[in-house]
Amino acid sequence: MQKYYKKWFWFFTSPALIFFVLVVIIPFLTGVLYSFTNWRNTYFYANGNGTVDGYKTDKWYEAFIGFKNYIKAFNSEEFGSALVYTFAFTFVAVLLINTVSLLLAVLLTNIRTGKGPLRAIFFMPNLLSGLALGFIWQFIFEYVFTKILFGKNSILHIEFFCNMTHDRWKALFALAFMATWQMAGYMMIIYINGLNNIPTELYEAADMDGANVWQKFKIVTMPLLMPSITIVFFLTLANSFKLFDQNVALTNGTFNTRMIALNIVQEISDRADLGYGIAQAEAIIFFVIVAIITLLQVSFTKKREVEA
Amino acid sequence: MTKLKKIMAVLLCTSLITVGFSGCGKKEEKSASNSGGASDLYIYNSKGESAKEFEKIAQAYEKETGVKVKVFSIGSGNDHMATLRSEMNTKQQPDIFTVQSVSELREWTDSEKAMDFATAEGLTEEFKALADGVNKKLRLTTNGKDNYGIPYCIEGYGYIVDKKMLIDIFNLEFVDTLLEDLRECDYKEWEQFVKALGEYISDGKATSVKINGNTYKMAKKKTALTKKLTGVFAIAADQSGKWTYSDHMINVAMNEVFETAADAKAAKPDDVKRLRGPFITYAKALNLKTSYMAGANGPVKRGEDMISSSNNYDAAIQNMAKSRAVFLKNGIWAYNSIAAENPEVADRLTFLPIKMPFVQSEIRVKGYTVGGMNSTIPVFVPMYYAINNDADEAHKKAAQDFLVWLNTSEEGKKFIVETLAFVPYNVDAATVTGKTSLANSLIEYVRRGNTLTDPYHGAPNNWSSNMVGTKIYESYLTKENWTQQDYEDIADYAIRKWIEAIED
Repeated sequence: MQKYYKKWFWFFTSPALIFFVLVVIIPFLTGVLYSFTNWRNTYFYANGNGTVDGYKTDKWYEAFIGFKNYIKAFNSEEFGSALVYTFAFTFVAVLLINTVSLLLAVLLTNIRTGKGPLRAIFFMPNLLSGLALGFIWQFIFEYVFTKILFGKNSILHIEFFCNMTHDRWKALFALAFMATWQMAGYMMIIYINGLNNIPTELYEAADMDGANVWQKFKIVTMPLLMPSITIVFFLTLANSFKLFDQNVALTNGTFNTRMIALNIVQEISDRADLGYGIAQAEAIIFFVIVAIITLLQVSFTKKREVEA
Repeated sequence: MTKLKKIMAVLLCTSLITVGFSGCGKKEEKSASNSGGASDLYIYNSKGESAKEFEKIAQAYEKETGVKVKVFSIGSGNDHMATLRSEMNTKQQPDIFTVQSVSELREWTDSEKAMDFATAEGLTEEFKALADGVNKKLRLTTNGKDNYGIPYCIEGYGYIVDKKMLIDIFNLEFVDTLLEDLRECDYKEWEQFVKALGEYISDGKATSVKINGNTYKMAKKKTALTKKLTGVFAIAADQSGKWTYSDHMINVAMNEVFETAADAKAAKPDDVKRLRGPFITYAKALNLKTSYMAGANGPVKRGEDMISSSNNYDAAIQNMAKSRAVFLKNGIWAYNSIAAENPEVADRLTFLPIKMPFVQSEIRVKGYTVGGMNSTIPVFVPMYYAINNDADEAHKKAAQDFLVWLNTSEEGKKFIVETLAFVPYNVDAATVTGKTSLANSLIEYVRRGNTLTDPYHGAPNNWSSNMVGTKIYESYLTKENWTQQDYEDIADYAIRKWIEAIED
């Protein structure tokens, strides 16, 4: 069998490999190259200086401008603010999604009836597109929250829940609620799977030793759930960083709520001289940040995984 | 068994790969047969809503001349620039493409795609005459000398009003004198008129108003139509309406300083600073307008509720079509959506000028006066045809011939007015009648002359809508009362952002 796999290895992997190179690796490398040039989408533009006028060119090296796009990106007020906002959102969202999905999973493994339908219901929001979700929640925040539940004339007036989309930091939580509603069901499935894989003998042994619920959770469940936690953390981290549709649909960046992905898209129209190069540079910076953080996280949580 | 499995695997894999590649192959084949090779002329059309009409015109042209025309229209509501850029990245590029404004033009002059009709060689005589004949105020030009586009048509905007509504409010027999007085009156009288209307709608208080020297008395008894009113203005106050209260509204004030979009495009920081007065003027007019907004169930006050997504562009159109508001600041293009809601109202519409408290000393454009600016509307070209410099000679010639045919032949002109329902840029205002009530109102303003233009098209990308518009949306539509300080802050912010953009 081993020999069989060896013989056919390249044959079976090459289609996937070829397409991966064609649609991911090559565009990515071109993107890196573009980020160092004055690229205008349909052509390169060589900047003029005192003696020569600027001109269009087909050769990328004539429009090479070094790290200028990166410097401009770092100096841009919007990019900085988008970075801060994205980090803050990711922090809140990852905590919220993990807590909610783990709670749901524990709940659903411990009840007797209705497991199946409940799982399906919690999972359903994940099937909606981010844009549709954004418009649904816009309605919830503007009508249900502001006018019915928490408004000035309602029984329970909570200022924080009124017009959540009209303020930078309130909108951050609005986005996080929405992301939780969307992703928690999916993560719950992963956690349920993890919980089901924990042998019941361990709990019986813990009972014998007189452990209470919290001790059982901390000493038995948590360490054995680590593989699931690694995956869930990785997925929520990466997805929260890359959030785009929901951002567009809910606020479209107004009230200073642009996250990085949206900022990259809008950079092009923000600038009088077409910010393709800068947007590309921002995308590369973004990629590096996401890669570093998710790799760190995976190696950190991997270390805590134990075998049952 | 293993052998069978192996063969199966190989077969499946090869079929997968061939399917994958043949998919790509087919696409290429299709695009090749559609353009360049087979057609003699490839037109890129940015008005997606007129896609069918353009097909019709292409067929008629082919029938008459034998020239094979391929038209590509973008989907209605799609970003025309993004699609055009990708078309320009292909081998078969459009011969005629579209440019919206002078700020967009830069991309195509830098890339040397746009042909300059003033200096290009080998133009046909007829086309040269057509290009030179475009009114100076309507030209697509960077400095007044070069000339890059042939206009699609002209459009205009102002306060749209239902004539029947005015008749009912004032219990009139004829509305023409009142309309004439409203066109001519100054801002002070306009302001009093709006305030009186506001009280009439909210409290039913019928008063007399003086408009252009004549006194008009409101009807004591409300009619079925005036009972529906909930406010004076229908406004798209959420994000989707940013362009209505920034781009188009601020443009009226920009006309005080810049005569054309090209002038605005060429502006230095010192020129931009001259806009401070006009921007304060704009803020004052916007304050009046947003103080009397009509909603679906009652008046809408400035505050968090005003910018809720229920007050979007479609809602504003509905409020106008359902007679909940007296005025809607919008353009000729709004006719179709109003007609879809209520054809009766749509056929009674006409434009009134967007009045602002202009100051004569702040007007820099020669020949403009406060009275003149307050009695006309902006008229501009929404889109231009440009010719692709990289097309070969035969295609360039075909492009010129088509544009000449469309804009000068009897048949072509008929297509513009009848089929596309446009107002031609070279309209003979004395003889042409438009297809809609608003088109006719626009032609009437053209006939009177001295219309305003579109300097906002020369402002930096995204400046008006995304910067000024967003600021108004976030900080001012949510604010109950505006002070002199607010007017100045709006003006200073707008100027600062513009200067930042050109110094970038």
